[in-house]
Amino acid sequence: MSSVESSVAPERRVLSDKPTARADKVFYGLSRAAAYSAIVLVALILTFLAWQAWPTFQDQGINFLIGSKWDNTSDNPVFQIFPMLWGSILISGIGAAVAIPMGLSLAYFIEFVAGKKLAAFVTSIVDLLAALPSVIIGLWGALVFTPVAVEWAKILNQYLGFIPIFRNSSETFPGSPFIAGWIVAVMIVPIITSVSREVFSQIDKDLINGAIGLGAGRAAIFTKVILPTSRGGVVGGVLLAVGRALGETVAIYYVLTLTFKINWYEVLEGRGGSIASFIIGQFGEAEGKTISALMAAGVVLFVVSLLINFIAGWIVSRAASRGKF
Amino acid sequence: MDASVKPRPKLAAPWKKSSTPSKLAILSASLFPSLLSFTLAGLFHLPGLITLIAVLLPLQLLAAAAVGTFISGRHGRSGAILMVLVVFFSAIVVILLGSVLWSVISNGFKVLSIPFLIQNNNYITPTTELGYGGLGHALLGSIELVLISSAVTVPLGILVGVYLTETRDKSRTLVRTFVQSLAGLPSVVAGLFIYSMFVVTGVLRPAGILGALALIPLMLPTVARVVEESLKLVPQDLRNAAIGLGASKFKAFMQVTLPAAKSGIITAVLLGIARILGETAPILLTTLMGSGTNLNVFQDAFATLPTYLFNNLANSTEVSFSRAWGTALVMMIFVGAAFVSIRIVSRNKTSAKKK
Repeated sequence: MSSVESSVAPERRVLSDKPTARADKVFYGLSRAAAYSAIVLVALILTFLAWQAWPTFQDQGINFLIGSKWDNTSDNPVFQIFPMLWGSILISGIGAAVAIPMGLSLAYFIEFVAGKKLAAFVTSIVDLLAALPSVIIGLWGALVFTPVAVEWAKILNQYLGFIPIFRNSSETFPGSPFIAGWIVAVMIVPIITSVSREVFSQIDKDLINGAIGLGAGRAAIFTKVILPTSRGGVVGGVLLAVGRALGETVAIYYVLTLTFKINWYEVLEGRGGSIASFIIGQFGEAEGKTISALMAAGVVLFVVSLLINFIAGWIVSRAASRGKF
Repeated sequence: MDASVKPRPKLAAPWKKSSTPSKLAILSASLFPSLLSFTLAGLFHLPGLITLIAVLLPLQLLAAAAVGTFISGRHGRSGAILMVLVVFFSAIVVILLGSVLWSVISNGFKVLSIPFLIQNNNYITPTTELGYGGLGHALLGSIELVLISSAVTVPLGILVGVYLTETRDKSRTLVRTFVQSLAGLPSVVAGLFIYSMFVVTGVLRPAGILGALALIPLMLPTVARVVEESLKLVPQDLRNAAIGLGASKFKAFMQVTLPAAKSGIITAVLLGIARILGETAPILLTTLMGSGTNLNVFQDAFATLPTYLFNNLANSTEVSFSRAWGTALVMMIFVGAAFVSIRIVSRNKTSAKKK
């Protein structure tokens, strides 16, 4: 009793989530600095590109986005990017239309059909291809795939040519958005597959077993259990892939003929557009105002990709917070 | 009384082994359509694609639907159709991806030789025969660029991952959003950014170092995300135990959390390297393509594997196409090696867990 009274009460400890030791402070400071550097990096990218692109935006106004004429030879150059922008969107759309059924099928096959060993094998192949440099896909696309795809396009045109999108009045089949779309599809199928597989694997197995117990067949389980529960994640994954497709540069560069005569929907015609490939194609000889115009095209591309990414992230996080992942 | 009881639906007895007739039906449904369409294609000389889509697919769907209905009624029919579609689309993917791999390996292997790997491209024209000249300069250049970018990005990415998992800062969501938006950065924009920051302002002329800088924003999100995920997998109890034993948070991280997440962090680094090894557009924009060996990243023309491939493809002669395939194979070997290492690292981890 007396010993307790005589001893001094220990100093009260303050519970805190703030670091106290010096090493901790340095450590947290460093990691915070690194984290903020990511923000600074995005800001720098936008600032420098916008600064360079500003003269073009000022000269061309809104026509930069919606016009379709590119003339950098005259004293009063005209820079209008719409055919390239539309071409990028068209190609990404074709790519997504081709890649979505394939990616979903492959994910379903890996997750619910194949045995363990086959699934592991297919997964590792898909992961490897997700990491394959786009320039290799471009090489394959230009030298191996284009001759094959031209044959496909001719067949499509021959039998389905009465449908406007399969029309081809110029009879040139190489270099079409159709081919570029397939190349993009090859590049984004691994992304869609791995995201969908991830989402499929997180579906509560009890739900599926419950459906089986209630007498559902494979198709019913797919449409009534798997798709509704994984919708958010799958849509997000597809959007991420479309973002990648929009920014695709070198793979498309060699398989697409870039023209400023806008190609709205005739996907088999050998003319199209792609902002990223256009930048690469023009940059070598560009100077002065043209460089500024290409920077402006880069700004447009970046802003569109950012928007798609944010929407994808929002959809995924909303789906995850609802527990519908 | 008994007559009013409906017979048990066939699907309600899934434990019953499938009978001989149903096995026969499945076998014929999987063989008959492809045989028939092969015969038809042979008889009428149909092109492959038409056979595949207009003959084989409908026939296979019909056969599968019929057999499915025969075995387990309506459920069987829709299930069989779903299976046919899934296998059909998966097969197309596997064929396409297999074609990519096979054409790179078969075409590239013919080109691969010691001189091709170690010589540079000085005095080589697009028509010089294959025995002379190679990608030695580009190989060294690529390795150098990847090392420089990694030296900056790996610590930075790990620290960002640490920030996102180990701190309780309020702006973590904001940082995560920005890292995600970096992941969506088109590679050509990264090149434009570095060009506008250094070349337009006159700080530097196009040189190797600018290529390395342009790769940083492309590598950072990959490293940061994978590090974050692997740190998240480390059980919170481990950290709590270390802190409870009196370790400072820094010590706890260095001696407990980091070793526990080691394999994940190695994976992050390798994935990041695989990501930037093949980036072409930013390097095309920020460097001048060189044909000689140049290890000075601050001046003169500089070569890397992807730009060497790109230029050979642009030359469009048979020989330069061969060189392009050879370069593609070398790049694929690097990416493949990174993936095998990731496998080995993560396998060691799982086997250690089992003990």
